[in-house]
Amino acid sequence: MKIGRYAFAALVALIFVFLLGPLIVIIWASFFADKILSFPPSGYTTSWFGAAWAISDFANGFLMSVKVGACATVVSLLLGVPAALAVERYSFPGRETIRQVLLSPMYVPAIVAGAAVYIYFVEFEIFTGFQLAATFGGLVIAHSLIALPWTMRLVCASLVTANTVSEEAARSLGANAVQTFFLVTLPIIRPGIIAAAMFSFIASFSDLEKSLFLVGPGKTTLPIAIVNYLEWSLDPTISAVATVQILIIGTALIVSDRFVKLGKAF
Amino acid sequence: MREGRNWGGASLVLPAFVLVAAFLLAPLALILRYSFDLHDPIKLMKGVFSTQNYVQAVADPFYQDVLLTTANIAALSTVIVMLLAFPVAYYISRLESQRLRGWLIILTVLPLLLGNAVRSAAWMIVMGTKGVANALLLSVGLIEEPIKILYTPTAVVIGLVSVLLPFAIITLQSVMDSIPSSLEEAGQSLGHSPLRTVYGVVLPLAMPGVAAAAAICFALAMNAYATPVLIGGPTMQMMGPVVYGQIAKANNWPFGSTLACILMFVTLVLTIVSTRFLSRKYF
Repeated sequence: MKIGRYAFAALVALIFVFLLGPLIVIIWASFFADKILSFPPSGYTTSWFGAAWAISDFANGFLMSVKVGACATVVSLLLGVPAALAVERYSFPGRETIRQVLLSPMYVPAIVAGAAVYIYFVEFEIFTGFQLAATFGGLVIAHSLIALPWTMRLVCASLVTANTVSEEAARSLGANAVQTFFLVTLPIIRPGIIAAAMFSFIASFSDLEKSLFLVGPGKTTLPIAIVNYLEWSLDPTISAVATVQILIIGTALIVSDRFVKLGKAF
Repeated sequence: MREGRNWGGASLVLPAFVLVAAFLLAPLALILRYSFDLHDPIKLMKGVFSTQNYVQAVADPFYQDVLLTTANIAALSTVIVMLLAFPVAYYISRLESQRLRGWLIILTVLPLLLGNAVRSAAWMIVMGTKGVANALLLSVGLIEEPIKILYTPTAVVIGLVSVLLPFAIITLQSVMDSIPSSLEEAGQSLGHSPLRTVYGVVLPLAMPGVAAAAAICFALAMNAYATPVLIGGPTMQMMGPVVYGQIAKANNWPFGSTLACILMFVTLVLTIVSTRFLSRKYF
């Protein structure tokens, strides 16, 4: 019995090694002294982080991803929080359909959505003369769509679990809908909103497939800069870049876990 | 605060709805239309209505091969993913320590959120001729000289399995949470071994979840882009990269749209199937 239990735990541990091992290796490799990656290394250095930052594609890609991610997060919160409130707190015809439509960007394959949006942007430009493909604005629109379902999901979840008694009390004491939202509902669902912001940012920051069609010269996001670099070379520079991205996303994940227990959110 | 029909409330969804309608639904409708158009080298499109692209996608040996390769690799990856995800999900859902459970879920979700660029880079370092895998196998003496792992179909399957595993674990774990552990205790008190209890009690009850997770994984694998391009190398022809090539490189919008619509259709069907399975667990 006991042996069986240990064997089971060992099997699970092994699967986690498969899942996380490559990430540990890439972090490890970012400190290797040799330019050509080989195991074990001849020595260690931290110079690759500086070297990566000196490559303009990575530095600009990083800044671009941060800017696009921040803008997409703001848009998805500004549109997603009211939408989540409407879907959870009001009843109107077609509510469930609208809920599905707002979650749908999560289910449409990224490569298909990217292709469709790209063609749409180009046609839009032909008709209006207004360029969206390969612009910052176009990227923000596409990334807002990546972020919106995450905001919807997490804010809806916290609205469902939040007690409506205090909202009703506020209304019966004479507060209007707007006052009730800002003074009562918002403080209650604040953790959900913070988690929504974190996940929106992460989803945007790590996106590759949807941005693929929409980036232009000098307007590349970090994941695309990584893929472009990988086509030609595989060295510790790329490990350093990946390590930075793992750190940023890992931190965002742990921060959001403090607000919404991820063990229960999934 | 539900107040019957409330148009003020409904107006709150409007901006988000407009965003999705204008920049996702409309573009999808557009490529659906273009998928029935024909490529013209000068004008891009002929402006006709024809099913020729769909016929070509299914009948042309090259695209037939792409479709079959993609489906085969997706199916194989899905099977392996389900075999690996089941024990992990079961382990997590039966953990007593909430702390450990929370950490394992974070560790499962982290790779999922890192994005495919970083994860493919990590696998490239592991699987290269001078990578960890070869160094390890050499030092143990299992192989005499480095073997080629990267840029093979096997490598693509390994990469896809690691990409899909978190999705499957999360989906299965939430289904297993809803299966009361008292059922297993009942099975064991009848003298069944733990393995037999899982096989006889948990597996049948979790089957809708397994089917749903498998459908989601298969759809995601069909649509994979980064893994076949980076880990599979230039000879690996799968649907995702071919769609990108047709639209962004060859500028053949109609045929690219056709391939994209085929992917979209497969994904749509599988998503509907999976939600059917998932909702059935409540009965």
